[in-house]
Amino acid sequence: MKTSIVKNVVKVILPLIQIFGAYVIIFGHVSPGGGFAGGSIVGSSLILYRLIYGSERADRKFIYFYLLKLVSISLVVYGTLKGLIFILEHLGFNGFIPIGVPGNLLSGGLIMPLNVLIGIVVSITFYFIATLFEEGELENVNGAE
Amino acid sequence: MKKISAIIITTLFIGFLLIGVADMPPFGSENNPAHNEVMEKYIYDSLEDTGAVNIVSSMILDYRAFDTFIEASVIFAALITIMTVLKEGGNKYED
Repeated sequence: MKTSIVKNVVKVILPLIQIFGAYVIIFGHVSPGGGFAGGSIVGSSLILYRLIYGSERADRKFIYFYLLKLVSISLVVYGTLKGLIFILEHLGFNGFIPIGVPGNLLSGGLIMPLNVLIGIVVSITFYFIATLFEEGELENVNGAE
Repeated sequence: MKKISAIIITTLFIGFLLIGVADMPPFGSENNPAHNEVMEKYIYDSLEDTGAVNIVSSMILDYRAFDTFIEASVIFAALITIMTVLKEGGNKYED
C-alpha cells in the first residue's frame, strides 16, 4: 500500500483529481455535475491522500478541528443565504442578485456559491466517515505534537 | 406464540400496504398525478427564472434549495452520529 511506486503515482494523480473535482463543483450550473458529485470526488482525493501518505502527515495537513468548523459554518451560511433570499423575494425585492448571461461562469445567481458550500460539506464529511471507519479516530493519537 | 403473532401482524401489515398499492394509477399512463404542470414549468421557464443552463442544478439549488439544505444537514447528522459511536475520546483541542 505504501511502496514508493504508489506514492509517486499518487503524487502526480492527486492534483488532477482535485482540479477535476473543483471543476465539477464550480461549473455545476453550466454542465453536468454539482456539489454532491464534485464533493465526492474531492473527498475521495482526501481519502486517497490519507491512505497513501499515512495518518500523521494527513493530520498535519488537514487539522480536523478546523475542518469540522468549516463544515458547520458552510451549513449555517447556506441556510442564512437562501433563507434571506427567500424572505427578500417574498417582500418584493426581486432581482436582488443579477442572473447574468446564461452559459457564463458567473451566472445563475446564487447557484454557484451554494454549490461550493455543498461541495465543502460533502467532501469533508466523506473524508471524516472514511477516516473513522478505517482508524476509529479522527486524528492519530500517537502522532507528532 | 411470539412467532405466530409476529407472522399474523406481518401478514396484516403487508396486506394493508398492498391495498394501498392497488389504488395506485397504472404505470406510465398519461393521466398520472405526477404528470402535471410542474414538469413543463421546470423545462420551459427555468432558464429565465434562474439563469442556469443545467436544469437539474436550477431545480435542486433554486426551486428546491431547502430540500438540498436538509439533505446536507442529514449528511452532517450522519457524520455526528458516527463520531458519537466510533470516536474514542478527547483530543488536544479541548481542555
